[in-house]
Amino acid sequence: MHNKVHLSRVLFYCGIVLLCFCMVAPLYLLIKVSFSAPQEVNTAHPTLLLHHPTVRHWQQVLTSGNLFKPFWKSLVVATSTMLLAVFLVAPASYVISRASRHLKELYVMVLFFTKMFPVVGIALPISVVFLKWGLLDTNIGLILAHLIGQIPFMAWILVSTFSSIPRDLEEAASLDGCSKMRTLWSVVLPVAAQGIAVSGLYVWLNSWNEFTYALYLSLTTKTLPLQVYYYVQRGGTFQMAAYATILTIPVILVTFVMQKYLRSDYLSGAVKG
Amino acid sequence: MRRFLKKYWFELLLIAPMTLYLLGFTILPIFQSILMSFQDDTGKFAALHQYQVLFAKPQFMKSIGNTFFVTLVSLCYQLALALLIALALKKAFHGRGIVRAIVLMPMGIPTMVSGVMALYIFGTSGYFNEILYRLHLISTPIPWTTGGMRSLWVIIFADTWKVLPTLVLLLLAGLDAIPDTIYEAAKIDGASATRTFFSITLPLLKPSVTMSVLFRAVDAFRIFELPQILVGTAVPFVATYSYEEYAAGNLQLSAASSTILLVMILLFTLVYMKVIDRGEGFNHA
Repeated sequence: MHNKVHLSRVLFYCGIVLLCFCMVAPLYLLIKVSFSAPQEVNTAHPTLLLHHPTVRHWQQVLTSGNLFKPFWKSLVVATSTMLLAVFLVAPASYVISRASRHLKELYVMVLFFTKMFPVVGIALPISVVFLKWGLLDTNIGLILAHLIGQIPFMAWILVSTFSSIPRDLEEAASLDGCSKMRTLWSVVLPVAAQGIAVSGLYVWLNSWNEFTYALYLSLTTKTLPLQVYYYVQRGGTFQMAAYATILTIPVILVTFVMQKYLRSDYLSGAVKG
Repeated sequence: MRRFLKKYWFELLLIAPMTLYLLGFTILPIFQSILMSFQDDTGKFAALHQYQVLFAKPQFMKSIGNTFFVTLVSLCYQLALALLIALALKKAFHGRGIVRAIVLMPMGIPTMVSGVMALYIFGTSGYFNEILYRLHLISTPIPWTTGGMRSLWVIIFADTWKVLPTLVLLLLAGLDAIPDTIYEAAKIDGASATRTFFSITLPLLKPSVTMSVLFRAVDAFRIFELPQILVGTAVPFVATYSYEEYAAGNLQLSAASSTILLVMILLFTLVYMKVIDRGEGFNHA
């Protein structure tokens, strides 16, 4: 009996170690390749450890002049998408959260429904229209497109955030003579600030990583993910690694900040009564 | 009407921008897309012409099969794995905090980057082949990403790495919501671990599982980025096929294939809700 317990414990830890290895190994390889001498990677038998570290690829990427433009475009688009999304979604989510149960469920279902549309199906007519409007290759066009994917999810999170704020707060404020606007601004918003911030960061991340709309709506300008894709197509093994690492660094920073506040029940919360 | 406006003008003002945006930039385009699929190249009504062309293309038929295969297999595989990990993370053991952080790490990694990593691992002179070679399992490298069943599995593995954290998080939340007292009662009644799992954990986890299945299935059907990076046109999926037609200038064909994709997603959701879930999980989540 004792042996059996012992064995299952060993197996359990083996599984855990294997799991952690599978999760971490790809990240290690990415960084390793970006610092490897070509003869370590471009062979039939690549080395598993870093034998000849070199910063040559990084120097190349950083000094080539191809980095700043896509980086800046991604940064501008992601940040604007986040701000616009907050302005569009936060007020609407508040109203939805205060609507009757029936109306609320209906709106949340519609949001879920729009999440089911294939991105390629939306991007196609959008790109046709944007071509007419001269919005291809512009930041504004890309921001408008990124909002499409981000609104349903953000609304989902924010409806559940606002729903968790008791109505008594607002009633007390209105008894004290606050206008609707004033109540919303100085009573509800401060309580919901954390939820809004987390969902905003989430939108920022998704926009930073977004690929499909960027592919449809860009002809000559590139975002960072498109830049990575460009090197994937050209087989630029080392540039690909360096650019992918650059793409990942802000993400890790943001995730680190967000993880403390991200609650998994945000996802299911909106559906609750 | 006027009274309604007067009473609710503030609420309407708040909700209008987002609603209009959704109508103009999500609902309208999808209908335009469907409409386009029934037109010929000049914009005239052409009934099912585009669909006839589409279904005559072997590449497209292959893309439907691939999409279904990857969706169904990755759903089952990822759910089982995520449940196993969530259950393990519920246990108290040394280093649980670190393991949790490591498991959740890929959540933030861009899909593009996970695709690049998969290229390094599953490339013909990649690290997976190298490990197999060093273990003397193979003598000549296997081309993983050039097509066939192998490539589908590569896509499933790469996808799993990326989405596992979200699934684990969802299921962990579901597990946390099951009160400990039920487990204690089961223990007092002498239920075995297996019995407890199948009679308590699984049924009570159903709402979380439903949420996860629907979220995952929709994303899996729409899979685009990973195949685009990993296998290009060698292994077509409905979404990547639609892009190929778009890039080749056949807008109506692209619209038709994305409409087919929409129908696939709607059908799956409907069947799942009606047959497997019967409306229990979603409404009471």
